[in-house]
Formats: sequence, C-alpha cells, structure tokens
Amino acid sequence: MTVLEAAEITKEYREGLEAVPVLRGVSLSLARGEIVSLEGPSGSGKTTLLSILGCILTPTGGRVVVEGEEVDPDRPARLPAIRRKSIGFVFQQFNLFPSLTALENVEYALNVKGVAGAAARREAERVIDAVGLSDRSGYLPRDLSGGQKQRVAVARALAGRAPILLADEPTANLDSQIGGQILELFRDLAKKEDRALLIVTHDPKVRAIADRVVGIRDGVVSEARPAA
Amino acid sequence: MVDLATKSLLHDKLRFAITVSGVAFAVALVFVQVGLFLGILDNASVTIEHADADLWITSKNTPNVDFAHTFPESAVQRVRSVPGVARADNLIVWYMTLTLPSGAQEASLVYALDDFRRWNLPWRVAEGDLTDLGRGQYVFLDASAEKRFGPFAVGEYREYLGQRMKIVGRTRDALSFSTTPISFMDFSRAQKLAYQTLANKTTYVLVKLAPGADLESVRAEIRRRLPYNDVYTKNEWAKRSRAYWVESTGLGLNMMLTVFLGCLVGVVVVAQTLYTSTMEHIKEFGTVKAIGGGNGDIYRILGKQAAIAAVIGFLIGAAMSYAMRPAIAKISLKLIIPPSLALVVFAGAVVLCLAAAMISFRKVASIDPALVFRN
Repeated sequence: MTVLEAAEITKEYREGLEAVPVLRGVSLSLARGEIVSLEGPSGSGKTTLLSILGCILTPTGGRVVVEGEEVDPDRPARLPAIRRKSIGFVFQQFNLFPSLTALENVEYALNVKGVAGAAARREAERVIDAVGLSDRSGYLPRDLSGGQKQRVAVARALAGRAPILLADEPTANLDSQIGGQILELFRDLAKKEDRALLIVTHDPKVRAIADRVVGIRDGVVSEARPAA
Repeated sequence: MVDLATKSLLHDKLRFAITVSGVAFAVALVFVQVGLFLGILDNASVTIEHADADLWITSKNTPNVDFAHTFPESAVQRVRSVPGVARADNLIVWYMTLTLPSGAQEASLVYALDDFRRWNLPWRVAEGDLTDLGRGQYVFLDASAEKRFGPFAVGEYREYLGQRMKIVGRTRDALSFSTTPISFMDFSRAQKLAYQTLANKTTYVLVKLAPGADLESVRAEIRRRLPYNDVYTKNEWAKRSRAYWVESTGLGLNMMLTVFLGCLVGVVVVAQTLYTSTMEHIKEFGTVKAIGGGNGDIYRILGKQAAIAAVIGFLIGAAMSYAMRPAIAKISLKLIIPPSLALVVFAGAVVLCLAAAMISFRKVASIDPALVFRN
C-alpha cells in the first residue's frame, strides 16, 4: 500500500534574478514496509527531495500525496500537521535536544505530536526498548556514544507510529561497524512495524538492507532498480 | 509533558546566571531608586501624616510644610468659632540657627505648639516629658540630629538664636526632607526667640473637626472667613509638600530616568542573552519544527524561559533590595518598598522579559526547518 507518492516534482531556488532548477520532474513512491535507498552525489538534489517528501519544503511544481492527502503548496500552515501525523525523521547530526535525556527526547517528540502524560511515557519507553537503550534511557546525549545517539534518533522517529520514516545520511557520522548495526536495526524495526523507510545516503551498505535503490543526479532520478 | 523550556534554560547554567543577574540587578536598581525616593519623600510629609489634624491652614501659596510663611496668630480665633471645628491651634514651623558647643552654627527646623500631646506631635518620644516644654527655655531634639550636630544628651544646653535652651527630651523619626534636624519647643518660646518675625504671628493653624462634621462645609466656611489663607486637608497638604520637592528639585525626573535606565539595562541583558541563546539553539528549534512543531511551540519555549528568568530575577533582586535596608538605615535613609511597588515591578519584569523574548520570536519565525539537514 502506497503511503507516499511524489509525481513530476520540480523545485527551483532563486539566485538573484535567476531561477536555479534543483529538481526536474522527479517521481517516486513509497509503500508500507518498503525500504528505499536514495543515492546521488553532492548537489544532486537528494536533500531537497527529502525535504519535499517530508513536507518541510513545498515543490515549485508537481504533486506530493501523503497517506492519501495531497499536499497543498498554498497551505504551508498545514505542513506541520502532516509531519506530526505521518512522518518521522532521522538526521545525520542526530539533532537530539542536549538538555533532555534519551527518554525525554523521544517523549518530547510525542508531546509535539499531541501525545502527552502516561501514554507518551509508555510509548517512549517502548521505542527506547525497541532500539536497545533501556539501560541508557536516563542519559543525556553528551553521555551517549554516536551509535547510541543515533539509536535515540531512530526511536524518536519511530515514536508515534508515523508510517513514513525519512533518514538523511544516518550512518555518515558513525564508524562502519556501528553504522551497520544501525541499518540492521532500521531494517528490522521498519519491517516489523510495517513502516516505509527512505534513506538518503552515500553509504553503499544501505543497499544491503534496501528493497529498492533510486539514483538521482542533477535533479533527475537516473535509475530505479531493485537492490542487489 | 517534557519541559524543554526549563531544562534547556537550566542546561547552560552560566548563561542562565547571566540572564537572571541582568533581571535581578535591574529589579534591585528600580527598587532601590524608587524605594529611596519614597523614603525621602516620606520625610517631606512625615509630620503632616502623624499630626492629628484634619485641616491645615497655611498662608497663601505656601509651597511645602518646611517653607512656611507667617500670618497673624489671631486667625485661630476665627477658626475656632466655625461650626464643626472641635479644636484649632497655632503651629509654628520655622528655621532657627543653632550654635553647637564647638561654636559652629547649624539650622534646626523648629516645631512650636502650645500643646503637643493634643496634636500627636512628636509621635515617638524616646526620652523626656512633653509637658516640660511649657515650663521654661526647654527643647526636645530628634535623635537624627546627632549625625549633623554631633552626640547630645538630655540635660545639655544648645543656643537657639543666641538663647540658651536646655534639651529636656529626645524624639525619634521626626525628619525633614532637607535632613535639617527637627526641634520641638513651646509656641510662645518660639515667638520670643524669633521676636522680629514671629511676634503675634503663626505659620499654620491646625484644625480638628468635631465628630460628624462635614469636612467640605467646614473648609468652605474657613475659606470664607480667612480669604487670604489656604486650607488643605491632611492628604492634600502632604501631597503638595511632596510634590514641591519632586517638581522643583528634579528628583522625580532623576528617579524616572534611573528607573528607565534600570529597565533598559534589564531588557537589553535579557534580550541579548535570549537572542544569543536562540541563535545557539537554532538547530534545536529547527528540529522542533521538523518533528511537527510550529512557531507557537517555540514561542512558548522562549516565552516560558523569559518568564522564568523574570520571576527568579525578580526574587533575587527583591531579596537584594531588602538586604540593603539595614545598611541604608545606618546612613539615615529609608528604603520604602510598598507591596504595590513590588507588584508593579514584578509585573514590569515579566512584561519586559517577554518583550525582550519577542526579538527572538522574530528570528524563530523565519527558521527554515530544512536547516536540520545541514551540517
């Protein structure tokens, strides 16, 4: 079942009077339980595409449909609500709140999504347990290793049961072994919980867990093929 | 709910201390300036507040209680016959030169009445019996005079306008705006001492109304009978005396300027630290937006942080101000912080801190959540 669909997406940025095209008619879809690797060189437009798919940016042209709802670029105020309901992010830099413990980082994300009190605490504990950090749940990010921080970030994305997970270079700041563990964790949880997972990456190991690999170059999807 | 605002604020303890210090010093500055101002102004009308008189009759256009002008003492007779007047007496308030044992000369503000007890003046007698004042060349001197005149004891003598007067009592809290020490002596004694100016003269008539008498009708009748005098209620006269010093000395302007500067310093410190903090946490705020939060969520975080800084800063600033009171009292000044002032300063601190946070609001409103993808 398709949960995210992008059709003929274009995006231009303005540099002075000149319009610089970044995406030139990109089409992509994600189904529940599917893991897609989005690969491309720097400047190819993959982060812009991720931002549009994640309802952070609106496209210049084309259409994005999230869980059956077409994103209206003329109603940017609606975007945060779509993000809260349908999308979980994992960032390259983890982007954890340094003043909150691992558990609180997850719980706060749930609070933003409208889940509060004991329900939020229970869900936060569930996902922290799912990423294997129960014994570190009270630690501040500064006391966690890079891999542990990324696990917390994964837990935060999973919390609230958003059907779409978007990850931006999730292994870029991790060593090879830890990066591999994070990807396996991602794969297991996405499959187990039937989430759609799009990973933007340079890391060839991602192919090992992906169902499909999409290449992007100069703002155009250059290939879409099953992973090896 | 996870309290990101509080945890984030307390996470950087040094920055938190700087923010709170900014508010605390601004609050203390306002409290001390306004408190001292109120304390000094209190001196300007303290005798009026304590005198048991409903009406004060003065010469025309007398600016304040210390700067009295004379008028015939017989006016009191016309006042006593006004219906509704229970009693009326002459009061002299007059500067007299006093010679100290060292030969140095100083001024004392003399309050002279026939019957001090009747008018509750002086209101705090530390030593002596007020009835003695009518028995000879006797005077009561306020303890605050020691700062200006040096130590003195009951039983000692001082020269008032060249006449030897025996100190037979000591009072407390009888202060004047100009800090000139106050003496109390018998009415006729004061007239004799300054014979050329005070003979058959008074400077005020104090009026006590009979129970149930209508103040305005009594005042109207006194005005009719004494057209060349002014008649004030106690509150009006106290207010006029205070207003004179505020308006004529620039004290009010000075106080307002200091309060303004205090507020400005507080706002700038809070605004600057909150803004810097916002800039340093910009990626966190971007993350809040990326995970579905709106500008409102971030405004609440910044608003709460500003409010916390305001409340804690206010408490520390107020504590600092109260702690200064004994030291200020030692230099014969009063720091008056009425609850209404505390309430206004508290509300001001909160409002100004929130206003300071609004500078950060503008920055937050323009955060592009896509920055979470940047290194």
